[in-house]
Amino acid sequence: MQLEIKELYVTTQEGKEIVNGVNLKINSGEFHVIMGPNGSGKTTLAKAIMGYPSLKIVKGDVLVDGQSIKDMTADKRARLGLFMQFQNPVEIEGVGFVNFLRAAKESVTGNTTDIKQFMGEIRSYTEKLAITNGIVGRSLNHGFSGGEKKKAEVLQMAVLKPKIAILDEPDSGLDIDAVKFVANNVNEIAKAQEMGLLVITHYNRILSYMNPQFVHIMAEGKIIAEGGTELIERLEKEGYDSFLNGKRK
Amino acid sequence: MAEDNYKAVLEQQNSEYKEAYGFTEKVEYAHITKKGLTEDTVREISKIKEEPEWMLEKRLQGYRVFMSKPTPMWGGDLSGINYDDIYYYMKPGGTKTDSWDKVPDDIKRTFDKLGIPEAERKFFSGAEAQFDSEVVYHHVREDLERQGVIFTDTDTAVKKYPEIMKKYFGTIIPPSDNKFAALNTAVWSGGSFIYVPKGVKVAMPLQAYFRINAEKAGQFERTLIIADEGAEVVYIEGCFVAGTEIVTEEGLKPIEEVKVGDRVFTHARRYRTVYHTQVRPHTGKLYSIKYDGDTTAVIKATDEHPFLVARRKKQEYTNVKWETEWVRADQLKKSDYLAIPIDNTTKTADYREFPIRMRTRWKTESIQLTLNTDADFFRLIGYYLSGGRITSVKGDSYLTFTFNKNEIDCVLDTATLLERYFGKKPLVQKVYKNGISIVLCSTLAARFFKQQFGKGAKNKRIPLWALNERTEKQKELIVGMWRGDGSFMNKDYDYGNKKMFRINTISEVLAKQLKSILLRMHIFSSVNTQKRTGNRNTMYCVYIGGDNVVRFANLMGTLTTSSIDTGNTKMLVSLENVITTSSRTRIFENYAFVPITEITSETVENLPVYNFSVEEDESYVAGGVAVHNCTAPIYMSSSLHSAVVELVAHKNSSIRYITIQNWSKNVYNLVTQRAFAYDGARVSWIDGNIGSRLNMKYPSVYLKGEGASGEVLSIAVAGEGQTQDSGGKIYHLAPNTTSKIVSKSVSKGTGVASYRGLLYISKDAANVKSNVRCDALLLDETAKTNTYPYMQVYRDDATITHEATVGKIGEEQLFYLMSRGMSEDDAIATIVLGFIEDLAKVLPMEYSIELKRLIKLDTSNSVG
Repeated sequence: MQLEIKELYVTTQEGKEIVNGVNLKINSGEFHVIMGPNGSGKTTLAKAIMGYPSLKIVKGDVLVDGQSIKDMTADKRARLGLFMQFQNPVEIEGVGFVNFLRAAKESVTGNTTDIKQFMGEIRSYTEKLAITNGIVGRSLNHGFSGGEKKKAEVLQMAVLKPKIAILDEPDSGLDIDAVKFVANNVNEIAKAQEMGLLVITHYNRILSYMNPQFVHIMAEGKIIAEGGTELIERLEKEGYDSFLNGKRK
Repeated sequence: MAEDNYKAVLEQQNSEYKEAYGFTEKVEYAHITKKGLTEDTVREISKIKEEPEWMLEKRLQGYRVFMSKPTPMWGGDLSGINYDDIYYYMKPGGTKTDSWDKVPDDIKRTFDKLGIPEAERKFFSGAEAQFDSEVVYHHVREDLERQGVIFTDTDTAVKKYPEIMKKYFGTIIPPSDNKFAALNTAVWSGGSFIYVPKGVKVAMPLQAYFRINAEKAGQFERTLIIADEGAEVVYIEGCFVAGTEIVTEEGLKPIEEVKVGDRVFTHARRYRTVYHTQVRPHTGKLYSIKYDGDTTAVIKATDEHPFLVARRKKQEYTNVKWETEWVRADQLKKSDYLAIPIDNTTKTADYREFPIRMRTRWKTESIQLTLNTDADFFRLIGYYLSGGRITSVKGDSYLTFTFNKNEIDCVLDTATLLERYFGKKPLVQKVYKNGISIVLCSTLAARFFKQQFGKGAKNKRIPLWALNERTEKQKELIVGMWRGDGSFMNKDYDYGNKKMFRINTISEVLAKQLKSILLRMHIFSSVNTQKRTGNRNTMYCVYIGGDNVVRFANLMGTLTTSSIDTGNTKMLVSLENVITTSSRTRIFENYAFVPITEITSETVENLPVYNFSVEEDESYVAGGVAVHNCTAPIYMSSSLHSAVVELVAHKNSSIRYITIQNWSKNVYNLVTQRAFAYDGARVSWIDGNIGSRLNMKYPSVYLKGEGASGEVLSIAVAGEGQTQDSGGKIYHLAPNTTSKIVSKSVSKGTGVASYRGLLYISKDAANVKSNVRCDALLLDETAKTNTYPYMQVYRDDATITHEATVGKIGEEQLFYLMSRGMSEDDAIATIVLGFIEDLAKVLPMEYSIELKRLIKLDTSNSVG
């Protein structure tokens, strides 16, 4: 699958311009990263790709395998094989995590799942992700700790098997051991399922455990630099300012 | 193909439903009794029911109060009720003329949504689907009777238990209480009466069902439940039915054993999950229906039970297309054809693993036996089913096959197959009494056949995996069975020559399984029984006659000029020339249509009848043919439902009363429910309000004795045009009493959900504890919710907590769920169900599922 973002301009309902002409192409199996300072429009870009209803695409398009998806609702995009890991997933009380995930899986695949098999699958990932048993009997994200929420998002990604996954700040709020752990698991799952990855982060620490092929630097709603891991090194040394200054030159 | 068409129709209907949803139309109804309420009407009702004088007096008292009291001005708009336009009493049987055309449009659309195509919906008004089961009938009744429990309808109770009735009737809720309680007192009919004697704990919930076709005046039912000291009872108002063999994924099952979660075969030829089961007493007609092709099958059903049938437009016509419709039992004719959906479920596998339990002298262990279950293997199964048996000698088991000495081909075939699959050469024994046997000395093989196909001719059966294999393989099973136990009849009768194939077995299960396998191959067979002399077992004969003979012969590879082996003799037949009779049965697009041969009816009293509800298709296959289950939405033809429910909980007793109402959205549901709880008694009202136009219902508990406790748990969903005004009232009249009210409401669009509650603590009620909580969820900008908590407290030592919350479905929540693939409707339903989860889980499992299903149906399409 190929996801293409073409000259994309996104505003809020009130007309505030947030994404100002982004171009991006991601194929299944590729690993991209978008880095940028807070407020550069990264999360908005991710939400726009996923179809957040109160964002307006004023110009440009989002395409999957050449077909425009910008008028599709989020559920249809998910069924095409897109997935977004939320930075702060919402809590929904009373909705059992496992039931939710099973319903989601059935929606995405269009097939009914065998509960026994499904529980087996969940169990294999909870073990892998070292998610304590507690998560299974609990409401969706309700009362989850920061780390549990992140892991639960990774678990969902593993089970729903998207073709391209967007991870929005997968490391925020995690301690250093947990960052490494989550990164390793994401690597492994993405590799096993030949998933395309787009990791969004403003901070390079998770990237020390991951090996992106393509690095995009975003600021003020635009991609201002593109390249390989050398950009991360430069960013570490010189900070965003050097890119911004470079751009301004 | 049929499956595809069906899906297309459903999809179209679904989209139409989506477009049309949200409108509530007012519908006029045709009835046959006269409208309006006068004193004469009240006297007439009492007279028709042959009631004693005291009951007439009560009714008249109620009538007078009703006439004198004004219509309440609070709660909701009651101005739409025209009391002169209502039928207060309908004679039983008087409503059978109700037709689908008169069903309100919103209910019709609900049916679309449920996935019931046009043809089936025709039968909506008779929503009871009941079967009898003698065994369970006695079990339930005797069980309760032995304990002294009385469970009957209120009309019968007035005649049979006048002393109890006089003592309690109308004492908990007197006619003077409110206008609608007075109306109910004047015109009540039906409802349940329950008396549970001292110390008796009724383990299973007692259930009742408000019948859809105005049973026959179910709008004003009257319920009285009395729990004597230390007694316990749970009562559920819902929908009910009863017992025959049901086709499930695990094989045939008696209806009374069908559980929620079982997967049953439906008229749409697929398996769907049972989400609800019911049982209730039935008084009225019971029909017995026999059909061509299975003399062992008699279907017993109540008059209103819908059957899937094809009708000939005129007697002399031959149907070219077989169009099906739902027809109620009392309207079935002998010329009608019942539809038998053919199960084409196919799950194929080249290799299968079977865990075989083996017992050695030292231990029992399980060995995995892997077999190539190909077509030839199925022929071996056929040989086993006809002539195989298992013998054990000193802990070793042997597998023996016996054939007629002329069937040398079969002997050699069996021997070859045994060696191929089990890797051991069998011994061929000498001819003995015209029979020839081959023996395989393999405990493993013997165990395999015993565990999978049964030991002893009477217990032989085909396991599910083999029933669902491809017909190419199953064909070989039939070939094997036919070679072993089959025969060809070619007899001259007075009326002509009759030719048919026949396979005999003394296993009833096997006979029916063969019939269904043959159906998969579009061969219709009949199952007949032959009683045999002495102690010999009844023989079940599977006959293949008429034009099915040719199809069967083709299948067996016994073509025109080949010989047909009849066991002892061989004969040559030219089938194409001799088959002149055509079968009375037709197979069309994966349904077999069988003519009804006999319909008889009898009158039964309080016969427990069973039913269950099936997801999507709302139907199941009973006694071999497709029938409709109790339709899910409860529909009433009148616009006013005004019941009275009185509960008396004596010292230390416990009553739990559960209602889930899903009335049609043109109904005013004005129900008075009240309980008296004496010392240490516990009363719990659990109330699910999904339907009706205006619902006003505040179940109350009078805590009259020290240490009594009362609980009201309610869930209300107010959709477009609906007002749910509900809550609870607790009167603390004695010391150390406790109470709890939990109310959850959901509203959307123009819907209004209100909590209205009263907490009263008298000056005599010391140390009261009470907890009130009401939560509201709004699905959109226009939805409304109100909270009216009233409190009258005359003590200063009471501990009272009151919490109220109002929430809204957030965009973030919706987006999150949708980004995981859920449609907007599913996402909303998921959030709503999460909201009520803590109350729903208090309900018995099947009611919890039913409630969730209704809510899901009701909240979908709510936004946009």
